[in-house]
Amino acid sequence: MHTHRLAPWAAYTVVGVGALIMLAPFWFMFVFATHSRTDIFSLPPPLVFGHDFAANLGILTSHLPFWRNLGISLYVALASTAFTLLFCSMGGYAFAMFEFRFKDALFALVMGTMLVPSFMNMIPTFMIMDALGWIDQPRALFIPGAANAFGIFLMRQFVGSSIPPELVEAARMDGCGELGIYWRIVLPLLRPALGTLGLITFIASWNNFIGPLIVMRSPEMYTLPLALRALQSPVDTEWGALMTGSAIATIPLLLLFLASSRQLISGLTTGAVK
Amino acid sequence: MGQVSLRGIRKSYGTVDVIKGVDLEVQDGEFMVFVGPSGCGKSTTLRMIAGLESITAGELWIDGDRANQMRPSDRGTAMVFQSYALYPHMTVAENMGFALRMAGVAKPERARQVGRAAEILRITELLARFPRELSGGQRQRVAIGRAIVRKPRVFLFDEPLSNLDASLRVDMRIELTRLHAELGATMIYVTHDQVEAMTMGDRIALFHQGRIAQLGAPLELYNRPATEFVASFLGAPRINLIDRPGAAAPAAHQALWQRLASAAGGSVQRLGVRPEHLQVLPSGEGVPATIVLAEHLGDCSILHVRVDGIGSLLNVKVASTGARGSSGEAIGLAVEGGAVLAFDAQQGRVA
Repeated sequence: MHTHRLAPWAAYTVVGVGALIMLAPFWFMFVFATHSRTDIFSLPPPLVFGHDFAANLGILTSHLPFWRNLGISLYVALASTAFTLLFCSMGGYAFAMFEFRFKDALFALVMGTMLVPSFMNMIPTFMIMDALGWIDQPRALFIPGAANAFGIFLMRQFVGSSIPPELVEAARMDGCGELGIYWRIVLPLLRPALGTLGLITFIASWNNFIGPLIVMRSPEMYTLPLALRALQSPVDTEWGALMTGSAIATIPLLLLFLASSRQLISGLTTGAVK
Repeated sequence: MGQVSLRGIRKSYGTVDVIKGVDLEVQDGEFMVFVGPSGCGKSTTLRMIAGLESITAGELWIDGDRANQMRPSDRGTAMVFQSYALYPHMTVAENMGFALRMAGVAKPERARQVGRAAEILRITELLARFPRELSGGQRQRVAIGRAIVRKPRVFLFDEPLSNLDASLRVDMRIELTRLHAELGATMIYVTHDQVEAMTMGDRIALFHQGRIAQLGAPLELYNRPATEFVASFLGAPRINLIDRPGAAAPAAHQALWQRLASAAGGSVQRLGVRPEHLQVLPSGEGVPATIVLAEHLGDCSILHVRVDGIGSLLNVKVASTGARGSSGEAIGLAVEGGAVLAFDAQQGRVA
């Protein structure tokens, strides 16, 4: 057997072409956001920025309560992140550090929820939210997933690998109550894992389409993915405005990712290889 | 101010008995060492005193208060962990003052007490640093400082020096002994290191299989061990144990037994003689033996010696001036008078 070694320029070419293919949709989204509907469908399609951004934004805001939808998206994503971090860290800490009856069975149950396909949850979710009177309310989007299996699992692994039990015992001897130990000792040490889970949760909430589709009824309560979808119709879609909305919706995530990609990647591997 | 008394203490995990009844009175101001092989229950007993493990049966009294159900922080004990267990996200000063902060002590008072403890341990210049910026020895000092700040009635040490390298361990051993004299507090110290046990303790409780095999002053345990186990646990190299020879045993075995057994009665099944109590004579004198391995340590030499008929090699410790021994050399063995321990069939000492 002999091994192939790609010359450096060949490797860069492959990676470069791959990157272009991946980036093309983003590029066209931003370009189309500045062109009118007729420009977009001209041949060849526009490849550089145009002058119709303001006009598109005008169409967008006249068709939709766009800024309100953006605000609701932001509110749901932030609340979802905060609640998920709180409950998953508590759950993960408990499963990692405490001994209690039925612990293994309970953990198996939590993990088991990951086996249920999300489509099976759609109708029950609607019925439960309806029974609670939470239809058209943002809390229907951030409360149900606050203690989710993935988050609890991630936290449990991280606590298990990076918080020695003696630390908790030392705090106990120092007169710290159990809630105090969680808040003053455990939570600060979980920061890398909290950062990772926070990012994942924020992104998932921001992009969530099915969830709002099930529980949000009136356009004033739509989140962005739902609102932008409402802009489309079989016969008459304002593609320029749609692209403008999509581009604006992408910006928070891009900023978030630029600020924290290092954390996101390192956090996903910490605990795994420690 | 720091009396600990254990009365019939037991610990079970399900059907497994880990501690099988420990009775112990630790005097005020005493330095008590728990020593024993791993799994003997010494750490579990310490953790029960600390309140980190529940007590299955028996009573724990600290200064006349029944402490079985007390919360760890109410027992007046402070613990120094093997892994130091410093809070990584707090500075040294915050680590040391954490218990006071939990107790609601005002900030200036906290700083004063932390400062004083830091002075005792000579770590004042480290107060603003984080644990990750400290060496192992410095972390250990901070962990001890955190205990001192609480002004406990009883200090509990769980193998505090085993993560340090050898030379630092010696320094910290001396430091801890000095600290004990300075603070005058009761200290209970768990270790598996017999040198620490022998040098630091006022008294030693030697644990074996969930019980205290013997309790007493270090030299008392060394010179008058209650059982074979105690005799062989303390002392390095290990004590030599020689079985009573059968009628068909080789002459050398018989001869050695004769020399050792002058004082022993009929119930004696095994004799113990420490390596430093065996003497090396020129070949032809004493009990005939062969050197299998000689370890020359500079100040002394350890000879591993075969005597015909005895299964295991005998350890002989001789002063360096007498260390001419080399592998394969034939020598004679003699025994210093009066230094022999005799054990019966139940492994208890009879003489």
